[in-house]
Amino acid sequence: MINPFLYFWIFLKASLFSSGGTGNLPSLHADLIPAHLATETQFAEALTIGQLAPGPNGLWSVSLGFLTGGWTGAILALLAVTLPPFFILAVERLYRRIESHPAVEGFVRGLSLAIIGISLVVMGKLLIGASEGIDYRSLLLVLAAIGAGAVRRIPVFVIIAVAGVIGVILYRN
Amino acid sequence: MNRPLSRGRFFLVWLMLGIQSFGGGSVVLAMIRRAAVEQYGWLTEAQFTRDWALIQVAPGINLIALTILLGRRVAGKAGVFLALAGLLLPSALITVLITLLYSHFAERPEVRAALRGILPVTVGLGLRTSWQMALPLLRESSREGRVSFLLSILLIAGCGAIAALWGRLPVVLLLCGSGLIAALYNLYRAIRTGSHPPLFPPSVKAE
Repeated sequence: MINPFLYFWIFLKASLFSSGGTGNLPSLHADLIPAHLATETQFAEALTIGQLAPGPNGLWSVSLGFLTGGWTGAILALLAVTLPPFFILAVERLYRRIESHPAVEGFVRGLSLAIIGISLVVMGKLLIGASEGIDYRSLLLVLAAIGAGAVRRIPVFVIIAVAGVIGVILYRN
Repeated sequence: MNRPLSRGRFFLVWLMLGIQSFGGGSVVLAMIRRAAVEQYGWLTEAQFTRDWALIQVAPGINLIALTILLGRRVAGKAGVFLALAGLLLPSALITVLITLLYSHFAERPEVRAALRGILPVTVGLGLRTSWQMALPLLRESSREGRVSFLLSILLIAGCGAIAALWGRLPVVLLLCGSGLIAALYNLYRAIRTGSHPPLFPPSVKAE
C-alpha cells in the first residue's frame, strides 16, 4: 500500500467536501483510478457491498478501503468517513443561537420539506431502476412494508429478513 | 416516555442497530428513528425532523452525523462515542466480511431473488419514514393557516418534481432554494402578525 497518510487524506478529503453516503464517490474515483490504486471493478463491487451490508450505505468506503489496502485500508477509510460528520456539532451550536429568528425557523422548515420531496422521488427511482425490474408483486411488497413498519412490535430486521425469504420463494427460478 | 438509560444499555441499543440494520440507508434511518422517537423517547417527532434537516448542512455521511447528535443529546460526549462505536464497529466489520465473501455468493440465484424481494420493502419503509417526517411539519403549518399549509405542500411537491425531472441538478441548490422561500415567507408572516420587529421599520408618517 502507498503512504498511509496520503491514503487517509484521499479518503478524508473526499468525505469532507461532499455530503451523503456516496457523495465522496467522484473525488475518490478521480484520485484512486489514475494513480492505479483502485480499479473500476473494485468501485462497483464496493458500492454494491455498501448496499448489502448493515449500517449506512456510506460504509461502502470501508469496503473499498479493504479491497485496495487490506485491514489498514479499511480502518483508515472508516476513520476518514467518521470524522467529517462531527461538523454537525458546530452547525447545531450555531443553530441554537439563532433558532428563534423567524427566517431561520422558516429556512429549516423549507429544508425539511425539500428533503421529504426529494426522498420520495429517490424512493421511486430506486424501485423503477431495480436491475431485475418491478412487477405487481413488488408493489404489493411496498405496501406490505408500509403496513409492517407501522407495527411497532415487529423489528425492522425481521421485516427485511422476511422480505428476503419472500423474494427467494417468488423469484427463484 | 423519557426513561433514563444506563451507559451500558445505551451502547447496547446502538450495537443492536449496528448489527441489525441491513437494507441500506432508508432502513437504517427508519430503525434509528423508531428507537429514538418511539421506543426510548429521546426526542420528539418534530425535533427528529429538525435534526435531520440540520444534518444536510454537515459534510459526510448523514446517518453518522445523526448518530453523533443523538449520542450527545442523550449522554453527552461519552454518548457520542458509545453511539458511534455501537453503530459502526459491527456494521464495518460485517462490511469487511461481506467484501471477503462477495465473489463467492454474488451471482447465486437465491441471493439475487432475495435482494429482489428486499428492495421494494426498503422502499416501503423509506416512504413511511418520509411520511412520518412530514407529519409534524404539516400539522404545524396547518395550525398557522391555509397559506402556510399550501406552501408546505407546494415545496414538497415542487422539490420532488424538480428532482424527478432534472437528472443531475445539485441537490444543495434545491435544498437552499426551498429553505430560502420558506424563510422569506416566515419572515413576512412574523412581521405582518407583529411577532417580530420589521427589518426596515416604516418611516413615521404624519397623521
